[in-house]
Amino acid sequence: MWSLTRPDAPLDEPLLVADDRVTGATDDVLDAGVALGMPRREAEVLVPFATVLPRDVGDETRRFEPIIEAVEDLVPRVEVVSPGLLLVPIAGAVKFYGSEESLAERVAKELDVLTGSRRGGHALIGVADGPFAARWAAATANVGAPMIVDDTIGFLSRLDLGVLREAMGGEEMIGTFRWLGIMTLGDLARLPRDTLASRFGNPGALAHRLASGDDRLVDPRGIPPELKVGMEFEEPLESLDAVGFAGRVLSERLLKGLRETGVAPHTVTIKAGALHGPGRERVWRSSDPFTEKALADRVWWQLRAWVETAGVPGGITSLAIEPSDLSGEGRQLGLLTDESSMIEAERALARAQALLGPDGVVQGRRQGGRMPSERVAWSRWGEPETKVERDPRAPWPGATPSPSPALVPPRLRPIEVEWDGGLPVRMRLGARWEPVLTWSGPWRLSGRWWDGEETADRYQLVTSVGAFLIVVSGDRSFLAAVYD
Amino acid sequence: MNNVGSVDDLRGRRALPELQAESFVGDYRSLQLQPGRVTELVGVPGTGLTRLGLKLLAEHSKRSHVVVLDTRGWISPEAAWETGVVPERLVVVRCDDVTLWPKVAAALLEGVRAAYIEVPARVRDRDLRRLTALARARRVAIAMRSTGKGLPIGIAHLRLRAIGVTWEGADRGHGQLRRRRLMLEASGKGAAGVTRRFEVEDEGTDVVRVVSDVVADQARRTVG
Repeated sequence: MWSLTRPDAPLDEPLLVADDRVTGATDDVLDAGVALGMPRREAEVLVPFATVLPRDVGDETRRFEPIIEAVEDLVPRVEVVSPGLLLVPIAGAVKFYGSEESLAERVAKELDVLTGSRRGGHALIGVADGPFAARWAAATANVGAPMIVDDTIGFLSRLDLGVLREAMGGEEMIGTFRWLGIMTLGDLARLPRDTLASRFGNPGALAHRLASGDDRLVDPRGIPPELKVGMEFEEPLESLDAVGFAGRVLSERLLKGLRETGVAPHTVTIKAGALHGPGRERVWRSSDPFTEKALADRVWWQLRAWVETAGVPGGITSLAIEPSDLSGEGRQLGLLTDESSMIEAERALARAQALLGPDGVVQGRRQGGRMPSERVAWSRWGEPETKVERDPRAPWPGATPSPSPALVPPRLRPIEVEWDGGLPVRMRLGARWEPVLTWSGPWRLSGRWWDGEETADRYQLVTSVGAFLIVVSGDRSFLAAVYD
Repeated sequence: MNNVGSVDDLRGRRALPELQAESFVGDYRSLQLQPGRVTELVGVPGTGLTRLGLKLLAEHSKRSHVVVLDTRGWISPEAAWETGVVPERLVVVRCDDVTLWPKVAAALLEGVRAAYIEVPARVRDRDLRRLTALARARRVAIAMRSTGKGLPIGIAHLRLRAIGVTWEGADRGHGQLRRRRLMLEASGKGAAGVTRRFEVEDEGTDVVRVVSDVVADQARRTVG
C-alpha cells in the first residue's frame, strides 16, 4: 500500500489514507473491517480510532519514481497503473533471466532494498496471464515470496467477486450478483456472457471477461502517426507551472484528435526530452478510457515527479504523448446520472483553458475570513486544490453577513463618498453622484495591528441603484463589493 | 384584432385562455433557464442581476458543470453557493480580452449545459448571433448580461430588465442588509410577447421568491 509510505505518516498509530475512497490502511484498520476502495465516510465510522490522512497522488508519484526506475533497469518497459502498482510485460525478459521465478526473485530483491524499511512499502509480486490476474496474484503474495500463477483461470475462479470493484467499479452490479448467490469469479464465469451483456450491458460483459481470464478489453488498432502529439520548447521548461500547462494542452489536443476517429486510449506513453542527458519515458494505463481530466492529471503527476526528482536535467525541451490500447469510448451510463454532460463540459473547459492559459479557468472553495474577498480560495481548474488558509468552520466574528455580494473586486478600489458629520450623504458611481438612501455600519475591521495593519470601518451603503460595501480607512473610501 | 386587457380578464373568460395565460406566466416566473434559449439580464451593477443570473444556474449544477464567463474578474462564487449552485460544479472562466472572448465563449458552448455569460461592450453583433445559433444547436441554457448597451435585437428569448431595487434591514447606521426586493420587467418571446412586471425577493438563501405579478402591460398584445 504505497499510500502508507508517506514520510509524515505516524509509525505507531492505526492509519487510513483516503481521498473519496480508502487507498491505504494499516493492518489493524483492515482487521476492523475497512477495505481498500471503501468510501471514506464508511471507513471512518468503522475505525474512529485511526488517524486519517488525505491522499496526495502527486507526492505518491514522486516517491514511486525510484521504484519504477529500479524495475525499468531489469525490464525496460513498464506500465504504471497508479502510484504503487506497476504492470510489467515479462514475455521477453523471462528468456533473458531464465524463468519467471528467477525474474520475480530478482525484482523482489531489488525492491526490498528500496522499500523494505518503509511502512507499507513491502513489494508484493504476482505473475499471471493478464494484468487483472497478475494484480490479484500480487495481492495474495507474501513479502519476499512472489506468487506465480500457473493456472490463471483456476486462480481467478477462487477470488471473491469484490475484486472486480477496483477494476471496473459497478458496486450495484456486484451487489446484484451477490443477491443472486454469485460469490466468486468462478461462479460468474460459468454464466453465459451474452446473458450478462444483455442484462448489465458493457459492464456485465467486462466483468465476465475479467472473470474468465480474458482480460484485454482493448481493440488493438494501428495508431496513425498524426494522433501522437508533441511540443518542442526553445527555452527548456523548468517551472512546474509551465510544465503542467504544456501537459494539459497536449492532453486536450491528443484526446480531441482521437475523438474524431471515435476511439479513446487506455494506455498512454509520456515522453519528455531533457536539455542535458537522455530523455524520459513512462507508460500510464487506465481500465477506463482516459478523459481529458484523467489524462491531464496523469501527465501532471508524471511531469511533477520528473521535475522534482531532477529527472530531466537542464529542463524539458520536448514533450510528447502517444496513445495505445485504443478502444471505443462508449460506456453504459446510469439512468439518472448525466456523466456524458460532465465529460463534455470537461472537454469544453480544457479547450477554454488552452485558449486563456491556466489561470483563466478557476474554481473557488469556501474559506474563512471577514471580508468577501477573503472567503474564497481560488485554484486552477483541473489542478490540485490549493490549501485553505483560514478554516471556514471557525466563527469569524465580525464577518460581513449574508446575503453575500456577487461582485467582489480582487483588490479594494478607491471610490468617492461624501460625508456630512460622519454620516454618508452621497457616493460617486461613474460620472454621476447617487444619494445614499440608507446605510448600516460602521463595523470596525481590526487587522494585524502588530504587523502595522491599520484599522478600517465597513459600511453597507444603499442607493437607488443598489447596495455597496465600502471600507473607510483614514479619510479614504474604498469599494469592497457590490451587492449585484 | 382584439386588444386583451389583463391576465384577470383572461382568467375570467373561458378555460382555454386561462390555461394559456398560466403557461406563459410559468415560463418566465419559474426563473429557470431554457435549453437552447438566451435569457438577457439588463440593468446597472448593483441591482442584483448577477446574483439572479447565478441563481439561474443552480438547477443545472445538480446534473453537470455550470460555467460563469467573467469579463472583469469580479464575480464571487460565494453568492452562487448561497443561491444553491453546487460548489464543486461551478467553474469560473475569466476573459477580459475582447478579441479572444468569442472564441472562449464558443469553446464553452460546445460542451457545457448552462452558463452565465458577461458580454463585453465591444463584441460584434455578428459574433453574438453566431454564439446564439451555437447555443441553440447545442441546447445550452444561457443567461447573458452585457456590460455595454445591451444585446442586439433577436438574440434574447426572454429579456429581464431591472427597473427598481429596494433593500430591507439597514436603517441609518443600524441593522444590516437582509432582504432585497428586485422589480423586473419581462419581455420577449419567453414572456409570450407581453411586457410584464414582477418582483423577486432574496434573503441570501437558496430560495429566491417571486412575490407578485405587479403590473401587466399588455397594450401591445394582440390576438387575431
